[in-house]
Amino acid sequence: MRSQAMFFQRRAGEALADPRLQKNFAGLKDKFVGMRARAVANYENDFEELRDAGQAIRDRVIDNLDVWLELFEEKATARGATVLWARDGSEICEHVIAIAQRHGVTKVTKSKSMLSEEAQLNAALAAAGIQPVETDLGEYILQIADNEPPSHIIAPAAHKNLDEVADLFAATHQQPRKTEIPALTREAREVLREHFLSADMGISGGNFLIAETGSVVLVTNEGNGRMVTTLPKVHVVITGIEKIVPTLADFATLMRLLPRSATGQEISNYVSVCTGTKGEADADGPEHTYFVLVDNGRAGLVGSEFQAMLRCIRCGACMNHCPVYQTVGGHAYGWVYPGPMGAVLTSLYTGIENALDLPHASTLCNQCGVVCPVKIPLPELLRKLRERQTERGLRPWSERLALSVWSRLAQRPALYALATKLGVRYLNWLASGRDRIAVLGVAPGWTAGRDFPAPQGRTFKELYSSRQEQKA
Amino acid sequence: MSSRDDILSRVRANLGVAAGDEARRAAARAVLETPAIGPRPSLPDDLAARFRMKAEAMASTVDRVATPAEVPAAVARYLAERGLPARAACWPALAGLDWAAAGIDVAARAANGDDPVGITGCFCAIAETGTLLLASGPQTAATTSLLPETHIAVVPVSRIVPAMEEGFALLRAEQGFDLPRAVNFVSGPSRTGDIEQTIVIGAHGPYRVHLILVGDA
Ligand code: SF4
Repeated sequence: MRSQAMFFQRRAGEALADPRLQKNFAGLKDKFVGMRARAVANYENDFEELRDAGQAIRDRVIDNLDVWLELFEEKATARGATVLWARDGSEICEHVIAIAQRHGVTKVTKSKSMLSEEAQLNAALAAAGIQPVETDLGEYILQIADNEPPSHIIAPAAHKNLDEVADLFAATHQQPRKTEIPALTREAREVLREHFLSADMGISGGNFLIAETGSVVLVTNEGNGRMVTTLPKVHVVITGIEKIVPTLADFATLMRLLPRSATGQEISNYVSVCTGTKGEADADGPEHTYFVLVDNGRAGLVGSEFQAMLRCIRCGACMNHCPVYQTVGGHAYGWVYPGPMGAVLTSLYTGIENALDLPHASTLCNQCGVVCPVKIPLPELLRKLRERQTERGLRPWSERLALSVWSRLAQRPALYALATKLGVRYLNWLASGRDRIAVLGVAPGWTAGRDFPAPQGRTFKELYSSRQEQKA
Repeated sequence: MSSRDDILSRVRANLGVAAGDEARRAAARAVLETPAIGPRPSLPDDLAARFRMKAEAMASTVDRVATPAEVPAAVARYLAERGLPARAACWPALAGLDWAAAGIDVAARAANGDDPVGITGCFCAIAETGTLLLASGPQTAATTSLLPETHIAVVPVSRIVPAMEEGFALLRAEQGFDLPRAVNFVSGPSRTGDIEQTIVIGAHGPYRVHLILVGDA
């Protein structure tokens, strides 16, 4: 997906002006936040201890990522899968198209894969004459809505309401318009069932790769992950190189964190651990299994000050709890991943200079850091990105000038005291006796939609020294 | 340089390590040889009761009979109560039960898209979350628990284990170290919340999951 992250401010403004979108995202917040809180409270042990364990598992992998990748590759290959590697999105597309052509595939069913969004795989498949069919209900809705991008990593169509989905289905399926969510869901089930039964290849992402067994794990509620890994004769897994966990026991631990953090469930309906290919006598399963292990920026984070980001298990909790995401929605972030994790990943994977607003699209309130199941210090990473922007001279001249003036003043107490004293006098003059200022001369934008409070009395320094004098 | 070598060498350069470091590989292998079990929730002693409670919380329905011979009648009762067709595909291991006497037309084969009901056993069941552990194989088609709108599973009480960890240990004890092609953990009927975060039961997998516990109370 081509990044639109440079347009954050404009897109956020549009989202704020759209009452329908505001309503759709308010619902998302209410449901996900409450359900997670309940699931964490109901966990029959110390959830913090679980988060520590989750962090430790992910750190152990990333600290020795090369070794774990090799061990995974050995085991997966020994079980009959083919392991391929892709530096970037275009190599993903090349691999997948070559696999499809080798097996004479004309239609693929897809379970959710964010990497296929990174690679714009659907467009590449279509251009090669291969029909991609998204099967996660949310992704399917977006595909028939002329390939809209997802606005949430686990609820991709969160920005669409029932009416919009009903219109889309009626137009696409040529059936009478339905208005009940269960009826719409059944209609999608019936349309997609035909595709499941007729596609020759399934493409999925992977929630985890297990080095011990050479397996991929898919976590879904709809059952589409099971379909694409059971019915077609070819299964292609596309995952980032960071998705490895060492052992089945580690995977079991992470499964106590992921559904609780994502949807507030203790377990998702389907957790499929897929290993190798169909055995000779097996009743079902793919004859050919491929793993495409993708870098696309991940290797560059290893060993860097941003390495902690590679722990991410894509639960979505950080965006569900983010006041900025809740207000502007997912599309404003402009690339594949929204919310706090998206602000970090988009900056790092598409270039700090291509996402200037994103590290600032945060109040640093640390809600995200508190809920992240693998304890990624998201506000700290956002702050570091701001520092990198400043070091590279990527901030606007006015901001840099203001900060350098402030830093000079702050180093000279006498000058600082004088400047604040003058400032207070100026603001009091603007307020001309009232307690608020309607138009701030130096920053009219700030007062466009609100008043600026007038200073009440003297500066802090003046008050402090008079107190000291009284004491003496 | 191949993509593989390029990616791995950049990872190594960033970690400040060299290729072919046997000590680091040995350390990783040691992790695999003695996997550490992580923190877990504390479970009550009565695993069957816990399993039942959690399965129901995931929208499965649960029945209990004393012996396998009583299963066909329990299935017939369930299907009749809901007005569902008495026609099913089942795992071969269950074909020996007297389905005809209960008035159910059962075919011992993998389910296809037209079967209204799929009847399976399970490799074992997980008390912590009310989950079935289904292991694929020649006699245990994965489609039977997936394609029909109704999935009925026979769960011997003796096969209820505390958690995923014990499930994997049991698999290895009985089937060897390597995992079967698919290990599917199934917790209730399929669902989706993708339209307005409203949970709807019945997405791509079954609409109903009915569990029949077998064993003395
Ligand atoms: S950063 Fe943490 S909270 Fe956000 S998606 Fe990743 S794992 Fe979840």
